[in-house]
Amino acid sequence: MDTGESVRITLRSIRAHKLRSALTVVGVVIGIASVITFATFGASVEAEIVGDIETSNAGNIYVFGTPSGDDDFDRTLQPVFTEYDVQQLEGIQGVQAVLPRGIVQTQSIQHGNRTLARQQVTATRPASITDGVLVEGRSFEADEEAVVVNERMAGSFSQNLTTGERLTITMPDGSERNVTVVGVVNGTRGEVPVSEFARQPRVYVPIDPFYDSVVESPSAGVRQRAYPQVTLVVDPRAIPETQSAIQAYISGDADARSLSADDTELVARSGNDFVEEISDVIERITRFVTGIAVIALVVGAIGIANVMLVSVTERTREIGIMKAVGARNRDVMQVFLVEAALLGTIGSLLGVPLGLVVGYGATRYAEVAFSLAPLWMALAVGVGVLVGVVAGLYPAWRAARVDPIDALRHE
Amino acid sequence: MVSGFLLSENGLYPAESAPGEPLIAVQSVRRAVSESANTTVRVDGVSKQYDLGGTVTALDDVSLDLSAGSYTAVMGPSGSGKSTLLNLIGGLDTPSSGRVVVNGQDVSSASEAERADIRGTEVGFVFQTFNLMPRLSAVENVALPLVFDGWDRTRRRERAVSLLSEVGLADRTDHVPAELSGGQRQRVAIARALSTDPALILADEPTGNVDTDTGAQILDLFDDLHAAGNTFLLVTHERHVAERAERIVHVEDGHIQSVEDVSGGEH
Repeated sequence: MDTGESVRITLRSIRAHKLRSALTVVGVVIGIASVITFATFGASVEAEIVGDIETSNAGNIYVFGTPSGDDDFDRTLQPVFTEYDVQQLEGIQGVQAVLPRGIVQTQSIQHGNRTLARQQVTATRPASITDGVLVEGRSFEADEEAVVVNERMAGSFSQNLTTGERLTITMPDGSERNVTVVGVVNGTRGEVPVSEFARQPRVYVPIDPFYDSVVESPSAGVRQRAYPQVTLVVDPRAIPETQSAIQAYISGDADARSLSADDTELVARSGNDFVEEISDVIERITRFVTGIAVIALVVGAIGIANVMLVSVTERTREIGIMKAVGARNRDVMQVFLVEAALLGTIGSLLGVPLGLVVGYGATRYAEVAFSLAPLWMALAVGVGVLVGVVAGLYPAWRAARVDPIDALRHE
Repeated sequence: MVSGFLLSENGLYPAESAPGEPLIAVQSVRRAVSESANTTVRVDGVSKQYDLGGTVTALDDVSLDLSAGSYTAVMGPSGSGKSTLLNLIGGLDTPSSGRVVVNGQDVSSASEAERADIRGTEVGFVFQTFNLMPRLSAVENVALPLVFDGWDRTRRRERAVSLLSEVGLADRTDHVPAELSGGQRQRVAIARALSTDPALILADEPTGNVDTDTGAQILDLFDDLHAAGNTFLLVTHERHVAERAERIVHVEDGHIQSVEDVSGGEH
């Protein structure tokens, strides 16, 4: 039997039961739309975050300690990378810049009549503040009594903080430092990518004179500054080799190795490693949530199966007529499968745009850029048709098995 | 029936004792004769039992031949087995034993798909309740057997339109059954039965659901189609309808009681 004719018969049948067919389609639409919504939203979030990391951190290698047991997160912040290590790392071929980073505890930060208590400031080298991240002003000089703040920090005071204004930083020992704000940034070069999730108010200060965590360097034999984390800017054409060389140094002769607990692993991660890890996490979440949305699709499929069973019963006599005039079992099956598949197809064709609209709304709400998940869309349409066919299989099989004599007697 | 003996397709019976064992079995003789004749349908020793919580015998060792171009009526009270006979010849059902051959094809041993093809191409059904597809137009209903026979759309439509004008419904081609009168619906059904140019037209109480005048028109149409060379098997319980045929086969309790030649009277 040619498909055109079965589609025609199907369309007549659907038109004869408009409300019933529409409600069945709605079930599929909801299923497909939820899948598309979550998949699109997940893809958008992933693209946004990964895009951020990739553009700003492509050539970065992050060096830090990570305890093998996850229970002891504090130890990742131990200052173990000494000045000696920093010098050694600078000497590795392919390394263009080394940006050590340390945390300075303060009692409070005051501007005008507003005091923010218990703040941490980040000590780093001037090279961390590049033109790419500066919103206004400039970077501080090494050993300058000046700070750079991020936009979030600038907005934390009653009047927005701008360059040239002064802050008072109270150190843990009670001494006060008056500093000038020389720049406002939206992030820093060499920042560990995950910290972008938490856009907290931050103040950046030059290492000298603010940072004073010191340890005795086992290699140099003198007390030196030490940092919990170091970022290396490397030649983007030689990332893998440079990364291996860095890893070899920090797990070998580095001061950091001697200064760290044995169960602390010192790692050199590239921006790509972070991208992969983050993508992996987001994808896993997306798959999980989308999997839940698939339940809605299954419910839609059950709706189709239900309506098709009713349809088979109602049209028993028609099945008898078709068989009497020469329809084979597979012709009868085809008529009902086409009807089920058509309901599924209409459902997905309506569900995809609806899902995209809702997904777009979600990205607006979450303030991430909208990106499409074309694979998921194709998959959703395919699944919609498949759902119809699978849901229609049993009813169609029942239809095909109808005995024509009984069917023709059926009222 | 009171004349002492009764001749059926199976042999000669004493009228009083029928149904039962024939006095003279003529099966072998009949078979030799009909094998050479221009036979469209051969029903050969067919029995049909139904298992309805106990075996019910609908047909018991029935044999009947229909030659090409013949017009045969089957009469009998309801439950006599005449519908079962029609279903077996039409390939809607298979016999429990015996053979049914339609236009050279053995329906009794055919697969389900083969029987579907026989129903589509060798046989045309006309039912008491018309049995038209409610959502298809007249022309689509007439073309439906051609769909399953693999005709393309244009040829299907041409054929269906020409058949509809043959039965006098040229101006009703695009109406659905609900928009047609009973007589018109039955004429659509007749056109549908003719669509694949079948070897045999099976009509089951074709005038049962229409008024007398319309019934007469339908029977006139059958006469015309018979005159044009079509083979008819008509099941009815109305004497005046059966008399339009060339011969009347009387069925009762699953047996052929008698075969009556309409022009020549009862055998």
